[in-house]
Amino acid sequence: MSQLVQVEIAGNSSPAPNIYVLELFAPTLAEIAQPGQFLHIRCAQGIDPLLRRPISIHAVNRETGLVRIMFQVVGRGTEMLARRQDGLLDVLGPLGRGFTWGQDRQSRTNPIPAPVDGSTTNQGNIILVGGGIGAAPLFFLLQELAATQAAPRVKVLLGARSADQLLTVELAAALGFKVQIATDDGSAGFHGLVTDLLAEELRQKTEYVYACGPTPMLKAVCTLLSQAKVPGEVSLEERMACGVGACLSCVCRVREPGGEENHQRACVDGPVFSAAEVVW
Amino acid sequence: MNTTVNLGGIIMKNPVTTASGTFGFGFEYQPYVNLQRLGAITVKGTTPAPRAGNSTPRIAETPAGMLNAIGLQNPGVDRVAQEIMPRLAELGVPVIVNIAGDTVEDYALVARKLDGVVGVAGLEINISCPNVKKGGIQFGSDPRSAAEVTRAVKAAAGLPVIVKLSPNVADMAAMAEAVAEAGADALSMINTLVGMVIDVDRRKPLLANLTGGLSGPAIRPVAVRAVWQVYKAVKLPILGMGGIMNARDALEFILAGATAVAVGTANFVNPRTTIEIIEGIENYMRQNGFDNINQLVGLAHK
Repeated sequence: MSQLVQVEIAGNSSPAPNIYVLELFAPTLAEIAQPGQFLHIRCAQGIDPLLRRPISIHAVNRETGLVRIMFQVVGRGTEMLARRQDGLLDVLGPLGRGFTWGQDRQSRTNPIPAPVDGSTTNQGNIILVGGGIGAAPLFFLLQELAATQAAPRVKVLLGARSADQLLTVELAAALGFKVQIATDDGSAGFHGLVTDLLAEELRQKTEYVYACGPTPMLKAVCTLLSQAKVPGEVSLEERMACGVGACLSCVCRVREPGGEENHQRACVDGPVFSAAEVVW
Repeated sequence: MNTTVNLGGIIMKNPVTTASGTFGFGFEYQPYVNLQRLGAITVKGTTPAPRAGNSTPRIAETPAGMLNAIGLQNPGVDRVAQEIMPRLAELGVPVIVNIAGDTVEDYALVARKLDGVVGVAGLEINISCPNVKKGGIQFGSDPRSAAEVTRAVKAAAGLPVIVKLSPNVADMAAMAEAVAEAGADALSMINTLVGMVIDVDRRKPLLANLTGGLSGPAIRPVAVRAVWQVYKAVKLPILGMGGIMNARDALEFILAGATAVAVGTANFVNPRTTIEIIEGIENYMRQNGFDNINQLVGLAHK
């Protein structure tokens, strides 16, 4: 169950221009957090900026009780957060429905049935696709997948505008995963889009795809998955106020299994949705 | 110490409720708030049929506030009456259901379907939603239409009826007088102020709905003034709201003439605001020698 807590800031680093990683000492959050979930953080002490900022959980160490969040400075709230070095942070979380993996994957409504990790029915690749800051929550998923039998089948595709904006490449490699990179300007790895890499990878037998990144990228991922008839999940972003499902600000258009479309809340029904259910 | 108030026939054990649309149906906040401590729970605007609401973006942050244009997304009165109210009723806290519609008949229909539903302690007529094309504010800006809706709802249900007034009118007191005449049991004020944000990078309005309702501490002085004026003009109990963040903010409204207060946008910032206000008001009464909350209502006028 999510909590409203004051947690201690244990560290602040900047792995890339305009990107910050805050390390929080939060043993109870570390214990219950799932990949793809987020923390709703109060950035200002006063009333301006007023609202919390939803920031995905980037990494968790359950032994030390440390939780990391990684974020891009995009406005006044994240700017204030980036300046924090120590003291207490007002955190609501963990919130949202994260990525499903392992046994949990069966519980997700998904028009295309997906086999469970470790089963023998479909031993295809499991591909993670991250664009820009979207790499942040995927690393937490990699931490969990590293401990499963599926680990050798996991492939990581990371994209960014340029080499200096690439995130989590070394971290993913350090967990033993094979990482392919793409940059818009060709300054590192493949010169082009990370979704071009995905299109190539989907020619091989693929069991499941997880994606997080900018909206055009996620839209392209969903199109590719639909063409290749491969199931997967995407993490969406929408302007959010309450974070707990009350205010109905952060809704996304979703197609129900029956074909009916409705609004679902990114904060509690997501932020991770089945790729097949998102209406773009 | 007596903190019980009577809001037009709705008996609240303390003067604190939630503002419609900011607290869902209550359960969303259960991990953080002991709902049974609230004076009342005011739930999301309910219409005859389910509504999908507006496109996104639905909100924009503004200095010390926010704009919203949700567009009355709700599951419809049948689901509220049959599925949600039975669960809410178990809490034993009075529930105020905010009702909305496109026509006078819509309001009456929703009221009729909620009449007698266990747990429903009163209705709040939303004649001031700035974010839907039909209904809402069109009833809230013309005293005759507002009175007509009020009469229709009173005739349709034997429940206490609160009319929620819009600040987007020239004369709020005239609106208050019109709905009082039509049989309203209480007034709630203020709904949001119509506002707009332009995205300078995209060179377009930020909200999909173009305009939205401004809430949060930015509007509090406007709301306090509205309560002050209407308290002087009309002899109906007032549910005051608009940017209340803490107990002192709430006390401003009470001293200006509000019998009870509603916490809205603050729930998003600090989910425990309602509880902190209940405790803060009690502390204030203790420290200042008041043993009955009703002694404070409108005291700034004396």
